[in-house]
Amino acid sequence: MKQEGILRHAATRLLGLIPTLLVLITIAFFLIRVAPGGPFDSEKALPPEIRANLDAKYHLDEPLLQQYFRYLGQIISGDFGPSFQYKDWSVNELIAQGFPVSATLGGLAMLLAFVIGSLVGIAAALRQNSAADYSIMGVAMLGISIPNFVVAPLLILGVAVYAGWLPAGGWDWSWQRMVLPVVTLALPVIAYIARLMRGSMIEVLHSNFIRTARAKGLPERVVIRRHALKPAILPVISYMGPATAALITGSVVIERIYSIPGLGSYFVQGALNRDYTLVMGVVVFYGVVIIVLNFIVDLLYAWLNPRIRYDETQ
Amino acid sequence: MTRWKPIWVFAVACLAGLAACGDRDSDVGGPISRRPEPVEMVLLEDGQPDRAVLADQQVVRRGNGEEPATLDPHLAIGVPAAHILRDLFEGLTSESADGDVIPGVALRWNISRDARTYTFYLRRDLTWSNGDPLKAEDFVYSLRRAADPATAANAARMLLPILNAREVLAGELPVEELGVSLLDEYSLQITLTGPTPYFLGLLTNPIAYPVNRRNIEEFGEQFSRPGNLVSNGAYVLSDWVPRVEVVLEKNPAFREADRTIVERVHYYPVEDHSTEVKAFRAGEIDWTNEVPNNQFRWLQKNYPDELVVSPWMGSYFLGFNLTREPFIDNPSLRMALVLAIDRQILADKVAQFGEQPSFSLVPPGMDGYVPFVPEYADWTQEERNHEARRLFEQAGYSEERPLRVEIRYNTSENHKKMALAVASMWKQVLGVNTTLVNEEFRVFLQNREQKVVTQVFRAGWVSDYNDPYSFLELFRTGHGRNDYGYSNSTFDALLDEIGTERVRARRERLMFEAERVLMIDNVIVPIYTYVTKRLVSRQLRGWQNNVMDHHQTRHMFKLRLRGDPAAEPAAPEQPDEPVSAEEPPQAAAEEPAPEGEPEGQEP
Amino acid sequence: MSKPVLRVQDLAVTFTSTTGGLLQRRERQIRAVDGISFELNAGETLGIVGESGCGKSTLARAILGLISPNRGRVQWMGEDLTGLDEEALRQKRKQLQIVFQDPVASLDPRMTAGDIIAEPLWTFYPHMERLQVEERTRGMMKMVGLLPNQINRYPHEFSGGQCQRIGIARALALNPRLLICDEPVSALDVSIQAQIINLLRTLQRKLGLALIFIAHDLSVVRHISNRVLVMYMGQAMEVSAKADLYRRPLHPYSNALMKSVPIPDPELARRVRAESWLTGDMPSPFQRPRGCIFHNRCPYRINRCEADVPALRRMESGDWVACHRAEELDLSI
Repeated sequence: MKQEGILRHAATRLLGLIPTLLVLITIAFFLIRVAPGGPFDSEKALPPEIRANLDAKYHLDEPLLQQYFRYLGQIISGDFGPSFQYKDWSVNELIAQGFPVSATLGGLAMLLAFVIGSLVGIAAALRQNSAADYSIMGVAMLGISIPNFVVAPLLILGVAVYAGWLPAGGWDWSWQRMVLPVVTLALPVIAYIARLMRGSMIEVLHSNFIRTARAKGLPERVVIRRHALKPAILPVISYMGPATAALITGSVVIERIYSIPGLGSYFVQGALNRDYTLVMGVVVFYGVVIIVLNFIVDLLYAWLNPRIRYDETQ
Repeated sequence: MTRWKPIWVFAVACLAGLAACGDRDSDVGGPISRRPEPVEMVLLEDGQPDRAVLADQQVVRRGNGEEPATLDPHLAIGVPAAHILRDLFEGLTSESADGDVIPGVALRWNISRDARTYTFYLRRDLTWSNGDPLKAEDFVYSLRRAADPATAANAARMLLPILNAREVLAGELPVEELGVSLLDEYSLQITLTGPTPYFLGLLTNPIAYPVNRRNIEEFGEQFSRPGNLVSNGAYVLSDWVPRVEVVLEKNPAFREADRTIVERVHYYPVEDHSTEVKAFRAGEIDWTNEVPNNQFRWLQKNYPDELVVSPWMGSYFLGFNLTREPFIDNPSLRMALVLAIDRQILADKVAQFGEQPSFSLVPPGMDGYVPFVPEYADWTQEERNHEARRLFEQAGYSEERPLRVEIRYNTSENHKKMALAVASMWKQVLGVNTTLVNEEFRVFLQNREQKVVTQVFRAGWVSDYNDPYSFLELFRTGHGRNDYGYSNSTFDALLDEIGTERVRARRERLMFEAERVLMIDNVIVPIYTYVTKRLVSRQLRGWQNNVMDHHQTRHMFKLRLRGDPAAEPAAPEQPDEPVSAEEPPQAAAEEPAPEGEPEGQEP
Repeated sequence: MSKPVLRVQDLAVTFTSTTGGLLQRRERQIRAVDGISFELNAGETLGIVGESGCGKSTLARAILGLISPNRGRVQWMGEDLTGLDEEALRQKRKQLQIVFQDPVASLDPRMTAGDIIAEPLWTFYPHMERLQVEERTRGMMKMVGLLPNQINRYPHEFSGGQCQRIGIARALALNPRLLICDEPVSALDVSIQAQIINLLRTLQRKLGLALIFIAHDLSVVRHISNRVLVMYMGQAMEVSAKADLYRRPLHPYSNALMKSVPIPDPELARRVRAESWLTGDMPSPFQRPRGCIFHNRCPYRINRCEADVPALRRMESGDWVACHRAEELDLSI
């Protein structure tokens, strides 16, 4: 019964994705077109003949609505079209190349952040208001407040340039090149999760049913594991949905500083270059990723919280 | 409490580290002293290096700025793609290490008396990397493809000197009408609309490279992918992972393969200058595309042998919008603003990289041209300020009635610094109140073009080819990039004359005269001329500075390191390098004029 | 009466309140429980009453070792619990159990009723067979008046009263000898309160439990207690047999509590009480009055009350009181 409820819930949510995406596509399409300048503007002016040829080649000479419906037609067949900027590649290819990189880095960073952040947060919560707690939270505060464009160069300088342990940047799918970007990506998230986890753990530990669990005579580690962990992790889970989406879709700063071929730069470069198809492709792709991740978070929530599960079957 | 001491120590160390580093990550000594030394270079009589001094691994790793947009030579735009394409392809003409135009696929050429017809005679027995013979018809096919409206090549504007190119691009004439004709298997003729002294230089540009017809017909739009691309240059495309690297391998079929020493080139798209420098310092690249502006002094001190700064054919200046208040019909005011800035300080303290203060439009060193120098260039800044104040008052402004003006620039730290410095000089000398406005690049370009909201704006130009005309033509009435709204019939007439003049000395005089007219009209505030700046490993030799900043890998080689164990024992002397017998009989009949790079934007 | 099973001697719990930042740290002590002593016999019920914040719950948890006391001893069956390490103390949970105030919040919302009741069994009898555990769980549910087929329901599917039954079943699952009920009915409707109290009384008789029943008003305690301990600011004011207390309280504070009208809303009740039947405010826990701790609110105070701390002393009746004037005052209801 409960399984059915979840499935039905899933199906509804997935259907709801279509209008959301349509709205997203429409807004994004017209928004990027409203932006001043076009994909072929540069400080070197193009002779009008060449400009006309380019516009014709990319259908920019058609009325905007016609372009819109042409684009919708393309998307329905799963084709994001050719990139205006990276002419040798289609947007599908660029995303197919960039996303695995960003997803790997972001996924690893999130995993690292989740494990370390949760452990640190729990450790701090169990020693609430001790020197250890203040130290951990102090460091976490630093982690949140130091921007990654400061951390990343420091890491490169220390680990790559002076120590020579790891490469300074670049990408070849080897773990050596993943370490620094993953750590840089994870640091603020570790800090954030640690604070979140500490806060919610402290709150849960003060709740009545934990007092009950202790009174039952459970060893403290069982109290934490069996009773406190799940409710304490709920805020972390709901934070992780959008945070994971942000991480796995790539970070422009990280990609620039570590020279990583992820998805993030395509979005920014695409927007700056008015590479309409690339921007649209990445936006739609982001949209799908975010919707899917929120959906996963929903399912996790249902799994962690029987009250929600119950309500859904009503 | 004691248990947690390390955490405190760590936290404090983090803070201290942050405070110490600030935005410059270039402080501590680092591994400078243990940087390995290359051996002394030894050149043989033919100019080739002695094998004994060469490193075993001839692999060059070049930082290359942004990801190349495409490796289709005709569609390519931007400097990064051009760097790679110069290694992959060779046009009718080519360039020596110092940037001179030399014979490429064409062994020699004739230029008609009216300087409008070029006949090229190709080397025989040349082949493509796939073994196909390389013939004159390849060039005819390729030039037509480049001009074909269906190709929609941005860079096709460089073909406009060719007869009927404009009509072909506009779709008014079929591509067959392009002024390019096949004479026989190994010769072709190109007809121009007028004398174009820089035409041989234009031919070194990717837009004029040959592409293999079979290759394109087989793979269509995907012909430029690794594994597909057939090329005729010193290297072939071996691998390309977007935004990771482009790898080229030596092309054994290249006509000078036996004189090409570097076996493999990696081009890394490193967008961030600091990252690039760090990769260089970590020994991961041999050649950076750039260095960050704020690290000049540190690099000068710590990497004096590696830091290479060289003049570039670009100018940095501010433009006046002549179609709007306060600059319309107000030459005194413009002159006052031009005079009131101290270019020496701007170049030394703001630009900081050895840029030369400039008093004119055309940078020095362009194909022998000596730019116009206004009278005030010889004055002291004090004298200039004095004159500026006089003109300022003459224009009707004073302490009581100060000028309010706006400098607009595209968002960038460097442009901002420059605009701030200029604004403060105007304030100090003339009491001008300046507002700074920054805009995203394309918004900025559009505003410039529309000439409605702009007053003073950042401008600048890096030439397409080694000819002053490319700077001057920007100011022609109705030119697509004439964002100044400048229109002077004398100036336009001079440009027309330059277009038809085939005697070099007379043409230069006309250009000088045009520049003089322009500078007297005070359309721009000249500031400085560009330099290229990069780090190059001391192991990497064979390249030379040139104003175009063109550096083909085939001219380069890598020296052995001192103490490299392989260096001492085995040094099998093999001085039997074949001396290139074929010398160009009449190459330099007309002055060579290598091309330049597209993209003057956002240096 | 038989030999006492529980003997509490001079038990004190002090909390430290920290204010200010890392550098200007100020620590202040709150004496939540301040030298409480009493004895409890097997099968006996001791009621503990006092206003909110008087330290009743702290006392309960200190007895069970859920909070470690700063002073004093808790002897269970002659064994001092305060000297035990965590693990030994944990083992005592089989004998000493507690039912909490807020029945719904005290149950883990992610566990079924059955698991909640069975969890102590898993913990202390890890080798007990699953079927046996389930059988015992169903038995417990039946005993506290729940339907055994509700075993797989979650707490939020039960009413407050039912949840408290689950709480009681859970507490009794290990067959304890002592059950402390910390305001078990104060969160429940009046009609339900009676049911739960009756259930507890029935179970106590059936199982021969020693029971400590904590409440903030005397009316609830009346039904179930043999003796009553009246607490004020962490100290015992009076420990009397139920019959004595309700007929003739010995302490002016007991008297004031007796006069109080039970008001369902505790917030409102506190306000009404403070205004109507006690003069003066309850002192701040940081500034405890010298002498008798109750003297500033006591209508019968004399000079001595402000100077001397009255000891808890035994009266002829066998009841205990901490008041200088206990003999002379007649506070009969």
